[in-house]
Amino acid sequence: MFGYVRPMRPELKCKDLDLYQATYCGLCRCLRRRYGLIAPMLLNFDFTFLALLLWEPEERFTPCPGRCHGNPLRKRPMCPDSPALELAADESVVLAWWKLRDSVQDSGLWRGLPARALGWLLKPAYQKAARRCPGFDGTARDSLAELAALEREGCACLDRAADPFARLLQAAAPADGERGRVLGQLLYHLGRWIYLADGQDDLEEDRLAGRYNPVSARYGPDGDKAALALTMDHSLAQMGAALQLGEFGCRGPLLENIVYLGLPMVQGAVLDGSWSRMKKQKIWGKKQ
Amino acid sequence: MRDPYSVLGVSQNASDEEVKKAYRELARKYHPDNYQNNPLSDLAEEKMKEINEAYDTITKQRSGGYSRSSGGYGGGYQGNYSSGPSNPIYARARAMINAGDLQGAERLLYEAGQKDGEWYFLSGSIAYRKGWMDEAMRNYSIAVQMDPGNMEYQQALAVMRQGRMGGYQPAGYGSSAQCDPCTTYLCCSCLTPWGGPCC
Repeated sequence: MFGYVRPMRPELKCKDLDLYQATYCGLCRCLRRRYGLIAPMLLNFDFTFLALLLWEPEERFTPCPGRCHGNPLRKRPMCPDSPALELAADESVVLAWWKLRDSVQDSGLWRGLPARALGWLLKPAYQKAARRCPGFDGTARDSLAELAALEREGCACLDRAADPFARLLQAAAPADGERGRVLGQLLYHLGRWIYLADGQDDLEEDRLAGRYNPVSARYGPDGDKAALALTMDHSLAQMGAALQLGEFGCRGPLLENIVYLGLPMVQGAVLDGSWSRMKKQKIWGKKQ
Repeated sequence: MRDPYSVLGVSQNASDEEVKKAYRELARKYHPDNYQNNPLSDLAEEKMKEINEAYDTITKQRSGGYSRSSGGYGGGYQGNYSSGPSNPIYARARAMINAGDLQGAERLLYEAGQKDGEWYFLSGSIAYRKGWMDEAMRNYSIAVQMDPGNMEYQQALAVMRQGRMGGYQPAGYGSSAQCDPCTTYLCCSCLTPWGGPCC
């Protein structure tokens, strides 16, 4: 959906890059199998991270070859379907649906037309996904409504504005037990971080369109990069602290790369304006 | 109890030096400083206890029953919020924050009425625990402004100003500016069992 959560490629070990790619491709296949041919367009790096996070730590990495959705002539190593992939797939459909609804409501009759059309295509998939994870569906609906209300009133408190989206992401992991607490804390701060990064990224666009923006509401129309970077750093530190308390088995080093290197890299790019270029870069080349 | 060697992540025939190194790395990772006022601090404390016990067991086995005097880390958390006599409402709020009842503490502060340095400090602590880092920073700053002589408030604000550099990062991920040698030495030398810096 946003694509902010990515690893830092040059620092990845080959085996971790394989693992990342196979998880990404596995999530794509899982989306297609569960929700039909248009679902793979919802595929993104953020939910790949979620799938890696949700994976049972004891489970080994056992890729098997599968046909690529983008190019069926090519076979790629993919992670086989697993509860973590399925949950990540269900949740990406649910979140995509509610984001679409949100943008339909925000824009007028004509401008909202593409979102409306997409929503119409996605509806059967959403209904299926909502049946599979009703709890997450409810949280997504409620927190996005809460967020819309805060945006309408022009909330000047950065944390209050980020809270609904952070809680939404927190609900993406099952909340029970120690593992649930660790994942919940990690995802809360990931959600907060994504919301702030997105706010900074949209600063210019929102100002031109006259829309609400959490960063300009808190720091003024030009933002305050140093203060924003500091508070985003705090969220990164909390994520790192939570990550160290969880068991992630063979996925640990890859997750560490994303949290300790990938996210700071993206944060730097969002703050210095080079993000729009980085966003388009692929993590792996076309030729394998 | 789990095998002490697997707790430290070393093999049975690792040298004393390797065991010590693994122990130090883990101790640095789960150090109370990294989890101050963190909602997961109890989990970190458990981990710390586990690795302390494992290291103790191994040294005891290897030296034939003779144990190093340890227990270095124990009270890292209890001491957090217990300085000086203060308003009874604040004392109750502190207890509630330590127990994790943030809503209760928030309500208590809301009802307290007058806002002094400690009020802002406690509001900052609640915000920090909730993950509202910007609010925490703002409240700590006001607390320091209102009561510049208070070390507790100053320390909280200093930790916030460090940002990401203050926390633990595994070997290979840290930047060169990871440790500010002076503060780290002062913070850690009294907490580490070997009486030296943590890294």
